[in-house]
Amino acid sequence: MAALIARRLGHGILVLFVVSLLAFLLSSLVGDPVASILGLNATPEDRAELAQRLGLDQPFFTRYATFLWNAIHFEFATSYAAQRPVSDLLIERIPATLELAAVALVLSLAVGIPLGLLAAVNRGRWWATALMSASVIGLSLPTFVVGILLIFVFSVQLGWLPSFGRGETVAIGWWTTGFLTASGLKALIMPALALAISQVALVARLVRAEMLDVLRADYIRFAKARGIKKRAIEFSHALRNTLIPVITVSGIQLGFLVAFAVVAEAVFQWPGLGLLFLQALGSTDIPVISAFLLLAAAFFVTINLVVDCLYVLVDPRLRAGGALGGGPTL
Amino acid sequence: MLKRIVCAAALALAIAPAMDAEAAELRFAGTTPALTMDPHASNDFVTTAIYRQVYDSLVGLTLDMELAPGLATDWEYLGDNTWRFMIRDGVVFHDGSPLTAEDIKFSIERAKGSRFYTSLFGGITEVNVSGDNTVDVISTTPDPVLPRKMARMFIMSKPWAEENDALDVPDLGAEGGEAFSIRNANGTGPMKLVSHDQAVQTVFAKNENYWGEYPGNIETATYLPIGSSPTRVAALLSGEVDMVIDLPLQDINRVQSTSGFKVQQEPQLIWMQIELDGSRDVALDTFKKDGSPIESNPFKDVRVRQALAHAIDADLIADRVMRGSARVVGIAATPGLGGYQEDLDQRWPTDIEKAKSLLEEAGYGEGFITTLNCPLERYVNTEEICRAVAAMLARVGIEVRVNGMVWPDFARMLVNGPESSFHLIGLTPNSWDVQDAFTATMMTRDPETKQGFFNWALYSNPTVDKVAKELPATIDEEARTALYREGLEAAKETVSAVYLHQPMLTWGLTDAIEAPMRGDATVTLQNVQKAD
Repeated sequence: MAALIARRLGHGILVLFVVSLLAFLLSSLVGDPVASILGLNATPEDRAELAQRLGLDQPFFTRYATFLWNAIHFEFATSYAAQRPVSDLLIERIPATLELAAVALVLSLAVGIPLGLLAAVNRGRWWATALMSASVIGLSLPTFVVGILLIFVFSVQLGWLPSFGRGETVAIGWWTTGFLTASGLKALIMPALALAISQVALVARLVRAEMLDVLRADYIRFAKARGIKKRAIEFSHALRNTLIPVITVSGIQLGFLVAFAVVAEAVFQWPGLGLLFLQALGSTDIPVISAFLLLAAAFFVTINLVVDCLYVLVDPRLRAGGALGGGPTL
Repeated sequence: MLKRIVCAAALALAIAPAMDAEAAELRFAGTTPALTMDPHASNDFVTTAIYRQVYDSLVGLTLDMELAPGLATDWEYLGDNTWRFMIRDGVVFHDGSPLTAEDIKFSIERAKGSRFYTSLFGGITEVNVSGDNTVDVISTTPDPVLPRKMARMFIMSKPWAEENDALDVPDLGAEGGEAFSIRNANGTGPMKLVSHDQAVQTVFAKNENYWGEYPGNIETATYLPIGSSPTRVAALLSGEVDMVIDLPLQDINRVQSTSGFKVQQEPQLIWMQIELDGSRDVALDTFKKDGSPIESNPFKDVRVRQALAHAIDADLIADRVMRGSARVVGIAATPGLGGYQEDLDQRWPTDIEKAKSLLEEAGYGEGFITTLNCPLERYVNTEEICRAVAAMLARVGIEVRVNGMVWPDFARMLVNGPESSFHLIGLTPNSWDVQDAFTATMMTRDPETKQGFFNWALYSNPTVDKVAKELPATIDEEARTALYREGLEAAKETVSAVYLHQPMLTWGLTDAIEAPMRGDATVTLQNVQKAD
């Protein structure tokens, strides 16, 4: 088992390394930061001096090496636009994104699992089919369309929920939370919903498929043969076995939610990492762009690693020395 | 009777404290956040309009962008490249300390050292405190537009900067933490800074000790950056904000037709123009009609330039592409800029036949193919403007390929080249005086002497060059006016560029708000009135 985890860890570090190179390459392609910072009305001396100051006159690999070395120490230079250390900015923005993603995940599971179960248990009935067809719509609606629709209905027409921002937050150490104030909770509803809708459909379809598989299994037939009540079989035996893959997938889903949060954050002006990233793209803020990409990659890698470990714990076959070597990877 | 009086009195009593308690609060939203509160660390116009609430400029501005007494009550030219500024008495900073001539000297020197302001203040060589209340500023030239430049010189307290380790402008790429002046401020302006969080909001409170007039009733004001346009408009319509300072063109009708809301417009201090290669022997990315390379530069021929000015219908662009939210310009100047000449501001008439015959005369009767470099962001509706221009030029046989470029790419093309023979760009003279339009953007480009450094299309005309040389050395107002007129007329006659329009600043507000607009995009919070 230890060998397996070590191998996974190795993979993860390799992925991070590649991403760091790509992030750095990408950020040097998005434009001329000096022109973005100073605008058109600056003298050539100022440009040259700033380029030197920012180390942009160094060869690519020197710059990359510095970036990598600092990144290992969680130091990402200073944001060009905000003129503050990027690590400070990231730390400030992380709670908003994580809270949003977590609520969206809970929401998608809380709605998606019962929906999938209902559809599986009542397979063949017209409304179960209709439910699943409707979920395709949820799956294919882009987050920003859902977001704008929500804003139009609940902010402009009904005036119930705020159309932007995070409401009031409470600081607990460096973490800021919106869970403890009424306005914070209200502000969470629409962005979380917009983000969760496509995930609900995903979870529902996954649960339905798994459940149908399990219901066909031999032990369910035996249980039926023994005369155990249908409800007991469905909810006690079948459901439990259905949920194992769902839990693993939802871990990876959290990663997706953090990544997709970029769109929801832009629509709702949610002060999280995604918004920071978009603003950085607009202003060629290279330190922020590369740090965000690296952080997002690290997040995915970590989740994957955790999921792999969980899998090992859950599935005894993998524990026996890791000969199979498999396990879900993304 | 008595009962009625008692009732009225009781009612008055009941209302009075309620009105007092409801201190007027303004919540206004825009697309981008204020990047920093350090007034010398950014020249971004949104950011400037925000820190201008807290920091006063040395020379003030009226709502028509005319110069007015600010922290300097008066100024005069002493000769020998020296300007004297008289400093206002009895002004205090938000922390209670008095404004002194030393603070002025310190601020000028601090701003001059900032790389965002070298092109504006780089000519200043010396600042002397010449008396209790006077400061002398010495430059390398007489610099007749220095007072106008000083409308962008923001004054900071020296003792405060010393205390908070903010003597230097925060430098990019510096090691260590964040400079104090980025999220804290101490100015003399109409508003005090309560808090500044770039991601969420910037909060101001009324400065009770403001030296100037404060006709409005705003006690606290909050600026909220909301990047997504539909959300920003929704926030206005749902009453979460009182005002949106950059209403998208497509939402103007919607806001206007909703009861309780109104839209206000004011031409922005920038004009769009199409620049034409004035120097190269062979134009870049330009071909003959059959696609073979061209061996000449059609744009160098003044007849071709005039033909373009006749063929591009700026009125139609302002009307259709900009949906009426633009003011057509006829010369290289706009109202609100020093040196603007209203009677000269007439566009070339749109005349397709004239354009065709001019092209014929110049030997391009068959037309040619060229590439219009078009920045996609930064200005309003640029892509649509470029397409409209292409369609208009097609009518006279010039086939235009529109090359859309993201801003960083576009900027890189100009500053590292310039590598363009034909492009759309927005222009604001840096000092807000037309003199700068001549010296920086129209004078024959000479990298050695840094003349005409922002003349991206290499336009060149001897009369304009003469004007650009003489203006910075001429103090006399009448002589200056004559020079402005000579330069503007020569530039128009030789089509220094095809001038298009000034885009409008567009505000959406609730009916409860009365707020005057200003061309530099500042919401002058001290003038804002909010009804109950």
